[in-house]
Parts: sequence; structure tokens; C-alpha cells
Amino acid sequence: MSEGRSFKLFTRPKLESSSLVVAWNQDVGRLGPTVADYLTKKLECPEFAEIGPEGFFSLSGVAVEDDVAQFPESKLYLCEEKNFVIFRSDIPGHDWYEFLSLLLDIAEKYCKVKEIYTVGGMVSSGAHTAPQSLLSVANSTEMKSKMLSHHDIVSDMDYETPGNQRPTFSSFLLWAAKKRKILATSLWMSVPFYLMAVEDPRACRKVTELFNRRFALGINFADIDEEVAKQDKAIAQARSQFPELDGYIGKLENNLGLTVDESEELVKKIGQLLKKGH
Amino acid sequence: MGVRLYKKPKLDNPVLVACWPGIGNIGIIAVDILRRMMVAEELGEIESWDFFYPRRVLIRDGELKDLEFPKNKFYFKKTEKKDVIFFVGEEQPSDGRGAYAEGTKAYRMANLVLDVALKFGCHRVYTSGAAVAPIHHTARSRVWVVPNKEDLIDEVKGYENTVLMSDIEGRDGQGNITGLNGLLLGVAKKRGLEAICMMGEIPIYIHGFPIPYPQGAKSVLEALGAVLGVEVLVDEINALVQQSESEIESVYQRLPSEIKEQLDKLKHVDYAKPSEPEPITEEDKKKILQEIDRLFKKEPGRD
Repeated sequence: MSEGRSFKLFTRPKLESSSLVVAWNQDVGRLGPTVADYLTKKLECPEFAEIGPEGFFSLSGVAVEDDVAQFPESKLYLCEEKNFVIFRSDIPGHDWYEFLSLLLDIAEKYCKVKEIYTVGGMVSSGAHTAPQSLLSVANSTEMKSKMLSHHDIVSDMDYETPGNQRPTFSSFLLWAAKKRKILATSLWMSVPFYLMAVEDPRACRKVTELFNRRFALGINFADIDEEVAKQDKAIAQARSQFPELDGYIGKLENNLGLTVDESEELVKKIGQLLKKGH
Repeated sequence: MGVRLYKKPKLDNPVLVACWPGIGNIGIIAVDILRRMMVAEELGEIESWDFFYPRRVLIRDGELKDLEFPKNKFYFKKTEKKDVIFFVGEEQPSDGRGAYAEGTKAYRMANLVLDVALKFGCHRVYTSGAAVAPIHHTARSRVWVVPNKEDLIDEVKGYENTVLMSDIEGRDGQGNITGLNGLLLGVAKKRGLEAICMMGEIPIYIHGFPIPYPQGAKSVLEALGAVLGVEVLVDEINALVQQSESEIESVYQRLPSEIKEQLDKLKHVDYAKPSEPEPITEEDKKKILQEIDRLFKKEPGRD
């Protein structure tokens, strides 16, 4: 166990060869946390452990977002019946490898985790009406072949971090898991850029569907389908009301690019519309 | 986490020359050129993942193939005069709060570097970095030398083109060396090793910008070469100096004339010994820095 690092275990799970689903709060369109919240709520997964923020986050004050003070959280939720756990966390500010080691220690020692799935959003320049892609990156050939059985996943991506960027924290986790010979894959769901500031229930559904099949969860998606329909209706109404907005989305539907000004306008209008709707 | 050695050469009382990036990258430019010039062989590395966030991921056909971290490598060179171990760190470990290493991680890294030095029988360590000084960019940078033991003072006084902290007006022998280039001196002292930090001067009006200052590196390279008894080939460093001079000069020429006049005073100031004309005042300094800051921000292609 990572020495001297703080974590609390509220319940000792009874799991064997379980899976771990990981979501980071700092995510494109908040897709990861939305999926994690949906699953924990739907399956009534109780919190069973948490990693303390000390040593991993700057505790010199609090950040304020949307008028509310925030505090870093790293919590584990248990779905014993379906043999998986969910980890929803902020990305630490430092001591990244130690943080991941502690998570993997907990996963291995208390949850007997054999497979890890991370969930993240990626920005798409396409329209919300276009089919959204779900990509996977595996940390081993064995894990990759497991993912290939899901026909709607793109699993042949080539990628190298551009010079001015850094790898995602999920890539760091995949690498750390590989060192321990734990199978892991990161799932990347495309989110239209103009839905990044709001939520994309369609993207959430597609990822959740995958877990539904993989873990035989038996989820009834009526609620999320209703949300998708509601969002589609709101955007459709806005398109008929604002020809400019319709023009922008129409261009995207025809695979045409938008200017920076047009993109900004679309993000702003959709943000105002959907936030008001909520 | 630890050190991975690729080989175990027999070294005769080697000296360690260590460096990390810092202001103007003065130390790392000097040491890396010296290492390559001496054709030092790879010796080992400090495993980086416990210290750093990765730099690059390589994914091929949907599979994560590699995650690359900043490198921390050891090299060695056996010579007739002195055997040398080099350590070159590509990044200073940070706890996310400051630009330079501090705290537990920095202390751990310093100790790992010295573990390797001691394993090969090393008793002397050199580190290098930058000294922010009121000099003009056309002046030859001197090298500030700080030993970690009093009985090394006489020795370092004999090095060419160097000054001690006590030679510097108003300092009275006091000062700070931030980051690992400084911390290693202290940790070496604690572990009974002699250590000397060599810091090339960088003009006060340039040090805050994310640009290299090879002029300062050249002075450190010459000083280190002399100490190690190595003839320094200056072609590479001279090319870097020439490029840097022309870049700085192009910004300098666009400064308002009153600012240039103030900075030109630095050509005639020897702060190590009081001289005429009077040095620029604090108020002048503030104004100059603001003006240069404005100019650098206008430079296209800068971060």
C-alpha cells in the first residue's frame, strides 16, 4: 500500500475479478462525471472509500466555479451486485504517480480489480445530429482484442501528443496499470464543441450503453432518452427561431467549417438556450 | 522509484557535474555542450515517473505503446586528467506550487543524484546555473562561484573570470541559489561532499523572459573546462551566442531612447567594485523592466 497516504475505507467490498470505471471531473463536456453520476444513481452504488486531498492537491484555498466554492474530491462507489466499482475524482495537482499508485493499490487490494475503463469526452467539430464516435485506447493487445468485440467502437487510433500539449491523466493511469499488468482501456466519446459547456446526454447514453452490455447492468434508458429528446427539441426549436443558428448547425451537418466568430456565436447561443432550459 | 544504471565502469575519483534547466538555461546549455564535447557515455537514469507528469504519449493502432517522461540521465567519461560523471535533468521536479524544485521531491532527487556519485567514489560536485546581475548584454558574463565549504574559497578564487558573493557590492557574501542547482550544494554538504556552484551572469533586464542566455553559458563552460582540464571547443556555443545576440539586439534597438540610455549605463558599471557613472536607480530599473516586458510581449511567435 502506498505508505503515508490518506484514504478512508468505509466498507470492505466483496468482489472478485472486478472492473473499475474511472471518471475525472475535469473533462470535456463533463462527460466522465456525468456517466459516473448516472451509473451510481441508477444502480444505487454507495460510496465505500475516498482518497484524501492532502499531498495531492493545493490546499491553499478553494476555487470558485459558477459562484460555488469547490473542493477536490476522490471517491469510490461500489456496485457489488454487478462486480464493479466507480472512481470519480478531480485530477491531482501534483504527486500524480503516487496518486495513481494509491488508487491502484486500493483497486487491487480491496476490490480485486482486473480491468479498468476510463471515460472521457473529446471535442468534435461535427453537429450533434451526426453520428458520434466512441474511441478506445487499450494498454495491451489483450485488452484491445476485448474491445474489438464492441462493433461500434473505433479502436485503431494513431496518436502522438503535440509539442505544446501534455498527455491526458487517463493515459498516465493506463500506463501505470500496465506496469502492474492490469488490463485497462480509455474510452473517448466525441462531444460537439457547442455542447461542451452544457451537457451531452446522447454522448452519456452511448458510453453507458457500452457498460450496460459489458457488465449486464439491465439499465432502462427511458430517462436519458427523454433528456436526449428534450435537448434535440430545444435545439430544433432554436434553429427554427434563429435562422443564423440554423445556418451554423446546417454548415456543420454538411461538413463545412465555421469561422471563429460563428463558432463562438453558436457556443454562446446554445449555452444560453440550454442553461435557461435547465 | 530509483536509479537504473546501464553499466558499472571503474572510475577513478570522479567529479560530478550536475545541472537542471533554470534561468536562461545557462547551466544546462553549458553542461550539455561539455558532455557532448567530451563524448561522455550513457551511465544510467533516475526513473522519472515518480517525479514528473508525462510529456508525450504514443498510441499506435489503438494501443498505448509508450509514455515519455522528462529524462534525468547520468553519463560518464574517463580522461587522463579527471574522470567525470555528468547528470543532466530535463526538468526540475515541482510540487505544482513553484517554478523551481523545492520540498520533498527535490530533496529526494538530490539524494538520488548523490547516491550515484558516491557509488562511483566521487568526492567533488559541480552544479551550474544563472546569476541575475546588473550587467549589459554586450558585456562578458562573469561566473559567480559558491562553494559549500569554507576551505574551498581559496581554490575558487583562483578560477578565471569568477567572483564570490562577497565581491559583489551590497551582498556582503549573502544570497540564495534557488532550485536544484542550489539544493544539491546543501545536500552534498550534509553528506560530506565538496560542492561548488558556478553561475553565469544574465542581465537583470533579460532574466525574466523565457529565452536562453548562451552568453552566460559560455562563461560557465569555459570555467568548467578549465577546472576539469578540458580544452573547450567554442564553435557550438559561439553560434548560439551569435544568434542570441542578434535576437536581443533587435529588441534592444526598438527600445525608446531614454530606456536605452539607462541600460547603456550598465556598460560602464562594475557592480563588483563601485565605479562611475552612478548605477541605475530602483525607479529606473522598474521603468526599464516594464518597457522591455512590453516589447517582448509584442514579439511575434513568443509564448
